[in-house]
Amino acid sequence: MNALSKLIAVEAKLFLREPVSLFFIFALPLGLMLVFGLPQRGASEGGAGQHAELTFLPSLALGLTIGMLALFTLPMALGIYRERRVLRRLATTPVNPALLLVAQVVVNLVMGVAGAVVTAIGVRFLLDQPAPANVPGFVLAFLLGVACLFSIGLLIAALAPSARAAQSIGPTLFFPLLFLAGAWLPRDQMPAVLARIGDYSPLGATVDTIAAAWAGDSPAWPQLLALAITAVLGSVLAIRFFRWE
Amino acid sequence: MPVIEVEHLQKRYGDKIAVDDVSFTVDQGEIFGVLGPNGAGKTTTVECVQGLRRADGGTVRVLGLDPVRNRTEVRHRVGAQLQESQLPDKLRVREALDLYRSFYRNQADIDELLDDLGLTAQRDVAFQKLSGGQKQRLSVALALVGRPEIAILDELTTGLDPQGRRDTWELVERIRDRGVTVVLVTHFMEEAERLCDRLAIIDAGRVVAIDTPSGLLARVSTEHRVYFRPLDPVEDSLLAGLPDVTGVRRNGDEITVTGPEQVLQTVLSTLSEQKIRYTALRVVQPTLDDAFVSLTGRGVRAATSPSTDERSS
Repeated sequence: MNALSKLIAVEAKLFLREPVSLFFIFALPLGLMLVFGLPQRGASEGGAGQHAELTFLPSLALGLTIGMLALFTLPMALGIYRERRVLRRLATTPVNPALLLVAQVVVNLVMGVAGAVVTAIGVRFLLDQPAPANVPGFVLAFLLGVACLFSIGLLIAALAPSARAAQSIGPTLFFPLLFLAGAWLPRDQMPAVLARIGDYSPLGATVDTIAAAWAGDSPAWPQLLALAITAVLGSVLAIRFFRWE
Repeated sequence: MPVIEVEHLQKRYGDKIAVDDVSFTVDQGEIFGVLGPNGAGKTTTVECVQGLRRADGGTVRVLGLDPVRNRTEVRHRVGAQLQESQLPDKLRVREALDLYRSFYRNQADIDELLDDLGLTAQRDVAFQKLSGGQKQRLSVALALVGRPEIAILDELTTGLDPQGRRDTWELVERIRDRGVTVVLVTHFMEEAERLCDRLAIIDAGRVVAIDTPSGLLARVSTEHRVYFRPLDPVEDSLLAGLPDVTGVRRNGDEITVTGPEQVLQTVLSTLSEQKIRYTALRVVQPTLDDAFVSLTGRGVRAATSPSTDERSS
């Protein structure tokens, strides 16, 4: 087996040995769906706006999964690897330490997809809601959302002075992003400027495009474009500023 | 045949000069020590040898190669153990070895390596559950898993208890017996004295001396000291008049006689000829600590300031 596939296999094992991250990915989104989704179903009949859309909650749950992986797990793991000089140790071997970053991204990505599938199945059968209708659009929106949020996570990992700092920067960024996505106050009730920012914010655009595809519509191109641009920008900056020690 | 050649190496971090002028060669099959107080530039020097840092001046050749330009080739052939390097908490011993082995084209037998390093019983133990000594041995195993021609071991025994330290020394000798050239970075005089065939003493970014441990001792010609408590009366002049004796001192009822190596012989035969009984005999030989003091003008501990960290920049 070559070095990269071995690294991925080992990182996957290590990931699965952390019950906390498993809970975040597989249990929390579905739990939130059940807690908030069931009462809402009874109450929101005939309502209007962002929160009344049937696909808003499942899309938000997927956004949560991606967001937690990208902003909590990924920067934390990379921060620890830098602090413990694992990256430095790898640099003394013939293998490029960047491969460890690739392995981390791949493992978190696979876990994100697995979490999304579990959430989608849960939504379908536990909440009795339809499965995603526009599958290509759904996959595209999901992947762009992942790329965008992961690039922000990598940027945090690049800039955070310590693993502890990464651990606090992630949530500090995550909750405003959740707010902008309309998790608490629906975006149609926000001031126009704030709502517009929310539309193109990483999590807002992710949730909207996934929700649209889920309902069978085409995701909005400007929002997909915003995700792609953020992804490229974040990745370039992360690579530019990444510190190996 | 030299496997490492360092000539007039210089490295700065901003305004701070970490390595000012360091030259040495390491021959194949020897244990070469790089000795000096913390902050002397030892780690920076070996990092340049490993190609982890680019030298600001001078040349470095490892196995005839430039470690920065031919980095992949050099890394296949040079194993490294880093100071304070750790592994993920939940990674198990065997998994770590299996992973690191996959990076190299020459792959050591893992079971054999585990056995050699006394880690067979810990093969399925997670890194966080290992003792300090076990972690250190795993770190050495990772440095050897690619069957290197040269192993660079940085502050191998720091933080180990005396037993763990002695075990690790035996381990280093076994590595050398396999034909691996060992570069040992340390600030323990005792360790250097016990293990190294030759060593370079580095202080404030410069090489102060390069020699065998006994050569360094001979160079500083520090005197041996013989201590004893006479049980019968003895005149100072009796001892002071002996050949080889350079000094006699009394401290309470203890007498100290100083002189070159053979002074012990002289004192003991005189005491037995004169039928003077004695007790509490001990001899203090010069150590590398004394050599270091005489070469640098200060002790290792005095030279080690707690705030100095040679890696910070």
